[in-house]
Amino acid sequence: MITLENITKQYIGSKDEIALNQVSARFDSGLIHGIIGISGAGKSTLIRLLNQLESYDKGNIQIFDYTDLRHLNKESTRMLRKQIGMIFQTDHLLSRKTVLDNILLPISFHRKITSEDKKFAQDLLQEVGLSEYSTRYPEQLSGGQRQRVGIARALINKPSLLLCDEPTSALDVITTGQILQLIKATAKNHSVDVIIVTHDMYVIREICDTVTVMDKGRIVEHGDLDDILFKAKHPQTQAFVKEIGLDLSSVVQQFDPKELLLLKFDESIVKDSIISEMIQTLSVTASIVYANVTPHRIGIMVIHAPKRIDEIKLFLEKHKVVVEDVI
Amino acid sequence: MLFNLEISTYLDALWETAYMTIASTLFVFAIGLGLGSLLYATDKDGLWENKTLYKILSTVTSALRSIPFLILIVLLIPFTRILIGTILGPTAALPALIIGASPFYARIVEIALHETGSDLKETGLSFGATKLQVLFRILIPESLPALVRGITVTAIAITGYTSIAGAIGAGGLGNLAYLYGYARNRILITIAATVMIAILILLIQVVGDLFVKKLSKKY
Repeated sequence: MITLENITKQYIGSKDEIALNQVSARFDSGLIHGIIGISGAGKSTLIRLLNQLESYDKGNIQIFDYTDLRHLNKESTRMLRKQIGMIFQTDHLLSRKTVLDNILLPISFHRKITSEDKKFAQDLLQEVGLSEYSTRYPEQLSGGQRQRVGIARALINKPSLLLCDEPTSALDVITTGQILQLIKATAKNHSVDVIIVTHDMYVIREICDTVTVMDKGRIVEHGDLDDILFKAKHPQTQAFVKEIGLDLSSVVQQFDPKELLLLKFDESIVKDSIISEMIQTLSVTASIVYANVTPHRIGIMVIHAPKRIDEIKLFLEKHKVVVEDVI
Repeated sequence: MLFNLEISTYLDALWETAYMTIASTLFVFAIGLGLGSLLYATDKDGLWENKTLYKILSTVTSALRSIPFLILIVLLIPFTRILIGTILGPTAALPALIIGASPFYARIVEIALHETGSDLKETGLSFGATKLQVLFRILIPESLPALVRGITVTAIAITGYTSIAGAIGAGGLGNLAYLYGYARNRILITIAATVMIAILILLIQVVGDLFVKKLSKKY
């Protein structure tokens, strides 16, 4: 678990603009956390505080066994950084080293590279789908492949936390999807918590469990993905949600909220035809007014049922669907 | 005999020029790399940002570069006499050549390291590298092709300097062109010395390019 308490930071030389203003947040273990905001919102600065690439002026950060990061000595800072892998917007690979040597580089800052390290690097390379590329050089790879090498490199020191700073901003849509799934899969395999910074709601929807929305150096909204996607309160959050074509509120306004049900279901039942079964079994009318079903995530659906809504609720819950009221 | 002058005289002159160029280039590479790294490291966004130190280093570097080479030699005469024991001959030219060319190369190093850039600096630090590791294991190796290109340009500039030094007592091809050629009104000797210097410079360029090619060629 990582906690930030009342963090304030101002860049030297910028008199009026505060990079981070009284920021408090908590990032639980075992999850993928997304931080979204427009340029200059302070999101990159925020994750750079965690591995002390940036320092803060006031407040306190707790991460792993470390507290009060500002006053860590050089050696502790290095040890902290060793436990935190980082992926950047562009790959930041060394052009004059092979793929394998690039992956091994973070180890070499701490100790001599052993044959086990090389074996592990090769395993990671296989995991990111590039086992044939160990002796190639970065410029022989595509942008997506380079980012895969970046992921392997970030995991070589067996970190507990993976920071991703706009990891897909330089990639096309299809590659973005692949890289995000890879981050998710590797994070799970290696039991690494992930914090992703992005300006793209698509990234958030694709893999994040929690979302933190930042605006002008402040956290304006924070919650689980579903809450952010469907119950956004802050205008900035609503604007991001609209960007990916999700605008539940405008749909909901057209109906009596008492006649609406919000259904959530995971992949285990996504293939069952529950809705049509329900309509047949109960012989009720129900229409789908809104749905968002992405294959990797929990599906969301809003149905409008003017009559016998309690029966419908019971039926669905029996079929492992989570039913909630809308707003 | 060539233009009434022993071939060995030409060869001796060529050797002296080559010696002055190679010896001072080696020193300039080391000193320039050190000074250039310091300039980069103390500048804004450098590894050890330090405004005051950067200003001092930068001013000294610029000041040294602004002194015309001929004047630098004269200024350094007392220093050279103490260090080398004489102010004549190719070795006596080395202090002036090194002090004259090092700031030039330092600036090239500084630019090359900046180009390699803050991204890689941050990457190294994020993986727990020390600042020295970032400099020696990331920034300098990544900048190597640019550093070699830079030292090639510098070596060629040094070859030019050696002929100025040669004309006032350091020997070499400059001495041949000026003393034997110009002063005795034997234009052909001047031309011969010029051609030899041109060949030497071409050779430096070819060797430099070869190194860069070797460094950049990875597959």
